[in-house]
Amino acid sequence: MSDNKVIDKKADEKKKKSFFRLMISNLFGRKEELSIFEEEEVQSPFRTVINTFKENKFAMGGLIVFLLIFATVLIGPLIKPIDLSFHETSQQNVEPGFDMMKIPDALNGKIQDIAIGPTFSIGASTDGNLYTWGKTKISPTIDIKNTPEDMGNIVKLAAGFDHIIALNDEGKVFGWGSNRQKQSKVPAEISQVRNIKEIYAGYQCSLILTEDGHTHFFGNSMNNDFNIFHPYQGQLDKVAFTSDAVIGLTFDGEVVYLGTLKNSYSKFPEGMGKVKDIASTASTVAALGEDGKVYVWGNISQKSKENKIPEFSGKVVSINGGRYHYTALTEDGKVIAWGGNTYKQSEVPKGLKDIEKVYTGYYQNYAIGKDGKATTWGLKGYLLGTDELGRDIFTRLLNGGRMSMTIGAVAVIISTIIGVVVGSVSGYFGGRIDNILQRLSEIVASLPFLPFAMILSALIGNSMTSRQKTILIMVILGFLSWTSLQRLVRAQVLSVREQEYVIAAKSLGIKKSHIVFKHILPNVISVIIVSATLSFATSMLTEASLSYLGFGVQAPQPTWGNMLYGANNSVVIQNYWWRWVFASALLGTCVICINLIGDGLRDAIDPKSQER
Amino acid sequence: MTKYILKRIMYMIFVFAAMSIILFFLYNLIPGDPARAEVEHLKETLNPEQYEKAYQDARERMGLNDKTIVRYKRWAVGVLNRDLGRSQVHKKDVTELVKTPLKNTIKINLISVFLGLAITIPLGIYCAVRRNSNFDKVVQVLTIVGYSIPAFIFGLLFIYVFAVKLKWFPVSGMGTPNLKGSSWVLFKDQLWHLGLPLMVMTLASLGGLTRYVRAAMSDALSMDYIKTARAKGLKEKTVIMSHAWRNALLPIVTLLVGWFASIFYGSLVIERMFNLNGLGKLLIDSLNSRDYNVVMAIQLLYIMVALFSNLITDISYGIVDPRVRVDR
Repeated sequence: MSDNKVIDKKADEKKKKSFFRLMISNLFGRKEELSIFEEEEVQSPFRTVINTFKENKFAMGGLIVFLLIFATVLIGPLIKPIDLSFHETSQQNVEPGFDMMKIPDALNGKIQDIAIGPTFSIGASTDGNLYTWGKTKISPTIDIKNTPEDMGNIVKLAAGFDHIIALNDEGKVFGWGSNRQKQSKVPAEISQVRNIKEIYAGYQCSLILTEDGHTHFFGNSMNNDFNIFHPYQGQLDKVAFTSDAVIGLTFDGEVVYLGTLKNSYSKFPEGMGKVKDIASTASTVAALGEDGKVYVWGNISQKSKENKIPEFSGKVVSINGGRYHYTALTEDGKVIAWGGNTYKQSEVPKGLKDIEKVYTGYYQNYAIGKDGKATTWGLKGYLLGTDELGRDIFTRLLNGGRMSMTIGAVAVIISTIIGVVVGSVSGYFGGRIDNILQRLSEIVASLPFLPFAMILSALIGNSMTSRQKTILIMVILGFLSWTSLQRLVRAQVLSVREQEYVIAAKSLGIKKSHIVFKHILPNVISVIIVSATLSFATSMLTEASLSYLGFGVQAPQPTWGNMLYGANNSVVIQNYWWRWVFASALLGTCVICINLIGDGLRDAIDPKSQER
Repeated sequence: MTKYILKRIMYMIFVFAAMSIILFFLYNLIPGDPARAEVEHLKETLNPEQYEKAYQDARERMGLNDKTIVRYKRWAVGVLNRDLGRSQVHKKDVTELVKTPLKNTIKINLISVFLGLAITIPLGIYCAVRRNSNFDKVVQVLTIVGYSIPAFIFGLLFIYVFAVKLKWFPVSGMGTPNLKGSSWVLFKDQLWHLGLPLMVMTLASLGGLTRYVRAAMSDALSMDYIKTARAKGLKEKTVIMSHAWRNALLPIVTLLVGWFASIFYGSLVIERMFNLNGLGKLLIDSLNSRDYNVVMAIQLLYIMVALFSNLITDISYGIVDPRVRVDR
């Protein structure tokens, strides 16, 4: 009896186990229980396609690279949004690299003076050596690095837009760099002057200030409103340059305008009292009052808000101006900065203290601590350089990539829809409809594609905005490229039309349109996918060619094609290689990848094509 | 066959007429007033009434006051009488203006087509014969790269390497300006200038064509008659060259017709890039300067060439492959 029970129990357990097993295998698939033959049997055609595709190394490589590029251009613009109206003359055609604030080690610690240009900097050490860093090559022929020889011990430096002025300990002035407006050719009269106190370099002009308050100006006097016969000779203590005007500070602490015009610079704020220091950006002037308060006036831009001085504690002892921002040094050695922040030039690093001097110019800042070491912040450089309007190529590539892909995708969607509808209708209904549609398709296919797209874009897009024109390009590309898919779909439908399941559907009395789109189309979907992939690549190429010729998407909206529009001359090809190399490389890689994917897909879906 | 061709030609005439109407109306949508342009210079010298009268006279003379359809009729009659109008920019008859660029374009493209054929046919055959060999695989990848990269990127690269760095070729242009000498010297100079554009054009066309030749040849090689030929003990060379190649030629010939048609409009980007005085560059320049009579003429020429090449393709199908009956 008891024996029996035990046996019963055992049998029960066995039953339970197999039940669990069954449950598990039902839940998670019974892969392990299948023999190889069975597995082969249940593999769906879709699985086969994926497996074949996976085995194709080139296609998989293409897919991975394409997905990487795709993800980058999808996410990139969110991180680096583009400002279409942005342009910056001081940052034109800057080479790739991040060395704009890389102060040489030999100089760090014994800095005598630093002068900051738009993309280059120059420093003099206490032992009389000169160092240049950053993008010193400002034109194919002019390089700031080529300093004149035998200058002696340089004690003061000033950097303008494209030239350098230097002063040595014997009071001699030197200039080099661009000399188009004679801004770096020191006039003979200045070599007589011995009591030079300060040197200044502005936009294409230079100024020498003597101990007794006299000014000597040379360079472009057309662009800079400077009155050589200004009434303050012999009274000036300091001078500041905006990009088009000169402001002075007298020994009495009065701010004066040294030009002839009446403008926003000459409208000084009231109640400044005795001014201790002045500074300037490209379009504004700042003054430091006796009470340590800072006043800003001039052409204050909405974007930079140079007059929005942050709250701070303590008294300001000196102020400096960059291109669109200011820095100020307080009496307890702290630095505050405000104004334009496009390159994070007014974000002072945290924990900066015991600062003795701050050099600020254009988009760079160098704060010198008590130990003589420099802390820098601002514009380091550009990953891929800048273009002819000073726009960052990396940002434009990201945003342009998104635009290129969007155009390609929308064009493909349009052409696929037209192609599928026309092809299936034409193939299924046949007869007169087929005849008309085929003739129409022939006409469209016989049009020379590129010239015709060009002409349509030029004619219809004649008075369109940049945005409308972009949409127009998508539509043109879509409407001109549906014919090959149409032919493919039609042929497929023709071959499927007479198969049993369609006849069965027909005999059940299902509507014709339903048969075409619900029963026949799913069976030709593979052809459509392959064709869409390959024509995505073609659309991107055509858009690039159109934009390259100037008939596609218009600037400032970037695409990979129109970024190459300006690159079509030997000067750009030779000197500014970064303006065409990156865009072409990216466009080429992307199209190659899409074509590899398309080829791989075709081989996977239609194994017969592999035989070829 | 004759009936079929006649039918096709009728159809071509219909399409051509339809396209010309569409184009004509499109061009008339564009803002711009040629009459105003003509009398503009008189504005200073005449008083307003006289100026207005001169303007109205000009409109009348140019027939701008007529309905578009009447103007289309007049223009179409002109086209039939080989009068394509005058170029506003060049102040020349369009027929006169188009001659030299057309000649140049045909010349450039012909050379590049022959260069392309000379390379792709042997390469395609070799790849098909040695299918799936390492060489074939490399060529397959290279051809994908070749047809994925647009001509202008090749152009930029080649200018950088061969014109800027190595200085083997000039950057652009069709010949040294004011060069004098014997025709041999001139010819050499022109060849030197055309070297780079020809290289780029040929290279850009290699990818697609090589694949096409290879595919056609592979198809032919997989046929039963090749097995038969081999079984007969024929030499491999004979099998490939006379049995396979002649059959592979069928699809290639039809492709070639289309390709020869592209001789007329194929070198648009290259001409613009290398500043060659060709039809494509003339089209771009005229579009930019809104010289629409020229654009219209070139466009009509393109359409005509396209239609004819379609016809020839269809007929050649029938000629090279008797199994295809085009006139059914």
